[in-house]
Amino acid sequence: MEHIDLTDPVGAAPLRPTKAVSPTVRAWLFLTPSMLFLAVLVAASLLVLRMSIGEKGAEWSGFSLASYAQLAEPYYLKSLLLTLRLALFSALIAVALAIPVGYCMSRLQSPFLRRIFLAAVLLPLLVNLLLQSYGWLVILGPAGMLNQALMGLGLVDRPMMLLYNQTGVLMGLVQTAFPLAVLPIASAMRGVSRTYEEAAATLGASRVRVFCQVVLPMSLPGVFTGATLVFAYNASSFVVPLLLGGRRVPMLAVMVHDQIAPLMNWPAASAAGVVLIVTTLAIMTFSEYVTGRRRRMLEASQ
Amino acid sequence: MSNPFRSHAALPGETGRFAMILSGIILLLAVLPILTMIVMSFSGASNLDFPPSSYSLQWYEAAWRTFVSPDASDVLSLGQALTTSLLVSCLTMVLATLVAVPASYALTRCEFRGKAVALQLMSLPLVFPMVVLGLALLLVFDSLPFHMDTSRLVIAHVILALPFVVKNCTAAMVSIGTEVEEAAQMLGASPLRAIRDVVVPLMRSGILAGMLLAFIVSFNEFTVTYFLYNIDVMTVPIWMYSRTVSSLDPTVFSFAVLIVLIDFALIWALEKLVGDGGVSF
Repeated sequence: MEHIDLTDPVGAAPLRPTKAVSPTVRAWLFLTPSMLFLAVLVAASLLVLRMSIGEKGAEWSGFSLASYAQLAEPYYLKSLLLTLRLALFSALIAVALAIPVGYCMSRLQSPFLRRIFLAAVLLPLLVNLLLQSYGWLVILGPAGMLNQALMGLGLVDRPMMLLYNQTGVLMGLVQTAFPLAVLPIASAMRGVSRTYEEAAATLGASRVRVFCQVVLPMSLPGVFTGATLVFAYNASSFVVPLLLGGRRVPMLAVMVHDQIAPLMNWPAASAAGVVLIVTTLAIMTFSEYVTGRRRRMLEASQ
Repeated sequence: MSNPFRSHAALPGETGRFAMILSGIILLLAVLPILTMIVMSFSGASNLDFPPSSYSLQWYEAAWRTFVSPDASDVLSLGQALTTSLLVSCLTMVLATLVAVPASYALTRCEFRGKAVALQLMSLPLVFPMVVLGLALLLVFDSLPFHMDTSRLVIAHVILALPFVVKNCTAAMVSIGTEVEEAAQMLGASPLRAIRDVVVPLMRSGILAGMLLAFIVSFNEFTVTYFLYNIDVMTVPIWMYSRTVSSLDPTVFSFAVLIVLIDFALIWALEKLVGDGGVSF
């Protein structure tokens, strides 16, 4: 608004009365419409929290911790451990696969190849998971593509069971969450200037060494972000265990739905949901802390 | 120089052939389920063996018959599901954009108290477990005294799409300097008019990218919709799931190919719009 002050000394009347709206109020006015939608989200999660300490039958009036006690039973604990284990493995595998792809994406010259790469990365993320599961059913089935390939290579004698167990679910989790690992890694690596690579190469480092000792350490915050995103996304994955696990891989999200659809046990579903929220937010906060510290260290060293 | 398969050794900072081939293979694996599905939709056999023993368009014909003359056994015809899907996706796209543009203006141009909180809230739907969102919204909508059928899907989808749209709009707005707006105001435009007539047209490609993403997100959404649908209001993904829940029916592959083609066209348009800067997530 400084320019209005500039016109004042000339003697011209201000073009309009400057309203005394503080910037904070104005900013929040602009934010109001979107905040209304987010308020629905926040209110809904508070309802879930309230419901989780409700009693079955008298959800809104009762108060009991029975649902949380139920979560400590071996069956639910196993499900929680299974969820965390699958999410962790899928995050590690997805990041390992995403590092070369992210590096290529950040260094590609040809615009056409860049668009092909980006489209191939975005498709698994954006195309409905249900449709991709149909493809997985064909690949992983007893007479599917993978079993045929393995038997053709003589690695196995008879078809392996890949569908409706943890192996199949893990593969599905890695594939559908893979883009979430690639995008932050690619953008972190794009931020590493080529001059560092040139300098290292001039000093005699091999290509592999340049990558391992220069590019990779400098883009570690992106790698961490990617791993966290994949972990959080897969910890609450629903469609993949539902379709590829066929109810034999009871991940937490599937349990949440089962508690509602056949059992109508709202408090139990909510308690499992609260565990999911807490897990996700804890992981995100931890990662924010780690990458924040790492980034500050990198900035300080430059 | 732009040919990555050139014969001379790559310079430092360029991708070597090994890295290119490795990433090519990984990306091929990433889209393999989609490719498999496309091949299967042309199968001439009636089982799910891969590769199919013969090729034909029989499933496309069957799919077309389902579309024009719905079976009596289906609770809802594909036509109705498609109408609902398109309606929900278009409404989501418009609403999400209308609320995201002012929000991104506040987030890029204003310094205000609570900005950190606002930023955190904006990206919350990205990391919020979808199952819990579905459960929570079901709790909210079921406790309301009136029925919302389509609108509750729209509200859910706007929440899910909001971070994508806001990210793209903010990215577009950051690249526009504040000086154009100041110039417009010095020439007598009111602050709101400066935003409407100067800033918004300049960030057009970012807004369009956000709109496309919102449409894609809403059109492909399954998890939250799975909690919120009812027998009268179904989107295409839910319709397909209800068809295949007992047995895999290959006509679904031909519908799926159609949806993948739509998605691919939208993603391609998205990349063209946003250019090399990349889509913001």
